[in-house]
Amino acid sequence: MFKKILIANRGEIAIRVAHACKELGIHTVGVYSTVDENSYHLRFMDDSYWIGDSTPQASYLNIDNIIAAAKQSGAQAIHPGYGFLAENSGFAKACEENGIVFIGPCSRALALVGDKIASRKTVQKVGVPIIPGMQIADKEISIFSKIARRVGYPVIVKASMGGGGKGMRIVHTEQELEASVQAGRREAKSAFGDETVYLEKYIERPRHIEFQVLRDNHGNVVHLFERECSIQRRHQKIIEETPSTAIDEKLRRDMGEAAKKVIEVAEYTNAGTVEFLLDDRLNFYFLEVNARVQVEHPITEMVTGVDLVRQQILIAADRRIDLKQTKIEQRGHAIEARVYAEDPENKFLPCPGRILFLNEPSGPGVRVDSGIYQGWNVPPHYDPILSKLVVWAEDRDSAITRMSNALKNYVILGIKTNLGYLKRVMNTRKFVEGDYHTHFIDENQSELKLSEKNLPEVLAASAILFAGDERAFRASAEVAPSEYRITPWQELGEWEICRH
Amino acid sequence: MRYRLSHLDKVFDVNVHIEKEEYIVTVNEEEYRVKDFAAQCNHVFMKIQGKKFAMSFAQDGDKRYVSHDGEYYIIEIVRPAKSGVRAAEQEANSVASSMPGLLIKMPVRVGEEVSVGQTLAIVEAMKMQNELHAPCDGVVKEINFKEGDQVDAFQPIVELESSEK
Repeated sequence: MFKKILIANRGEIAIRVAHACKELGIHTVGVYSTVDENSYHLRFMDDSYWIGDSTPQASYLNIDNIIAAAKQSGAQAIHPGYGFLAENSGFAKACEENGIVFIGPCSRALALVGDKIASRKTVQKVGVPIIPGMQIADKEISIFSKIARRVGYPVIVKASMGGGGKGMRIVHTEQELEASVQAGRREAKSAFGDETVYLEKYIERPRHIEFQVLRDNHGNVVHLFERECSIQRRHQKIIEETPSTAIDEKLRRDMGEAAKKVIEVAEYTNAGTVEFLLDDRLNFYFLEVNARVQVEHPITEMVTGVDLVRQQILIAADRRIDLKQTKIEQRGHAIEARVYAEDPENKFLPCPGRILFLNEPSGPGVRVDSGIYQGWNVPPHYDPILSKLVVWAEDRDSAITRMSNALKNYVILGIKTNLGYLKRVMNTRKFVEGDYHTHFIDENQSELKLSEKNLPEVLAASAILFAGDERAFRASAEVAPSEYRITPWQELGEWEICRH
Repeated sequence: MRYRLSHLDKVFDVNVHIEKEEYIVTVNEEEYRVKDFAAQCNHVFMKIQGKKFAMSFAQDGDKRYVSHDGEYYIIEIVRPAKSGVRAAEQEANSVASSMPGLLIKMPVRVGEEVSVGQTLAIVEAMKMQNELHAPCDGVVKEINFKEGDQVDAFQPIVELESSEK
């Protein structure tokens, strides 16, 4: 087993990995950029190394500096977390060349699953359904239009190296096709440095369902069931749950077996996620493999009881998976809500800044994977994720109630966050019914709008606070505002007023 | 005490005074009677119109960040000087980012004529790019930053001389 692991990431995921290391008796080596020298993740590290200036390119994407830190610290392995270098085959290769174990798949498997066209071809060979469309990249617009006619409009143009919605264009008619292909190429070129785009049938009201798979170096493979990730804004997930309300036992088994086949044919090792789209007639199609620990991995841990990061480390240390497929069960229901520093009332624009007050929820079945502390200045350089709130309960309804209550008890003040928005999602009729797809946010905007129902009371209470700061007002008060008197009713969120 | 308090883009007239055991607060003419006001660090508890009300708050100068029942509010005192006509006029011709970030593109030069809606600067924060557009037709009078600079929210980046008279 490794004695020392370098964690090439920041924020909540660096802390999550550090927990797994410590439980295995492994020393943790942290890294940080200039702006992160006071960041929370460093408190969980036995050693920390500065790896460059604040921009991601200079630090968390700087392969040379990270490898140098690993060598200097004597770390035998690197855990890349998610994002940054997690799916960079060049980084995995650099680790291999320097005799450091990359905790993830080998660079060859990483390169294969990173190429969408190549991975579509590979999985099709083993009979896993893919969305009808192009099998090879082509430059000729006539080929695009031929295939578009064959699969039927609407179609979608996608970047081969893409992700996160960049380079994607939905095309409804043949007239729009050429311009969309060209726009997609330009965007792909600027985002990924590769202008290759391809075309496939556009699935109109899909659900996004992914399967967690583990495969060791000895060929043992298990899946740990699905995660439903259809609640997205800007093509990024904000709420995930498991089990999915859309699939039954048979479909679950079929999709799980398909996911294992994908991982096996790609000769993929370590933890991986196979993403599928499910159409409204319950046909599923392979989308891509995410070759990393996922942001939403905790919900799988909650229902299966398997520590996925621990499994990643054990597999990287050449251990055999000690899990039997028939023994892995989904127990109860788990939901994750991603807490972002952003303004849902203003196009979800990021909102970095100082956290003036923080209260994290707790209680049975409540887990907070957090990367923040009170007084910390959230820097503008990185992804706006602050933390993940995860709940588990015996059934879905109880999990929704638990999440809703936990969100009300989660207070972050000083910056704008999406906490209020996440709570509104929990109360949306379509979400409660479990009847939703990837356009949920767009289609439920009226229910998701900020309610100003309690604004007058908030203004009144705020005015008393402002007045209380003024000496003249305090002097005039016959009864001093009974400040700092402890009352029996202290818990926030229990008290609701003006229920008409 | 009389205040003008803002929330998002709305402004409210709020007045607070004390009568015996109660605070009498009027919000845009509507009266609220508040009693049993108690505070515990960042939490306050009270009865408004006889109903229990609790919220968390944090203080930042004239701003109160508030959380109540899972919703968030930023309540700010509107000071008279800020709403002056001249200030408003000046602000209208300066372009600033509503989020702090890295100035990644400055496609205009001082003295350049620009038209309404033209991109004057692109600020990137947390992997998201935000384009800042000209609020009016005019000429670029001043550029306060260069590409690669870090800018704060609401710091004027480009100043325009409006050509609309």
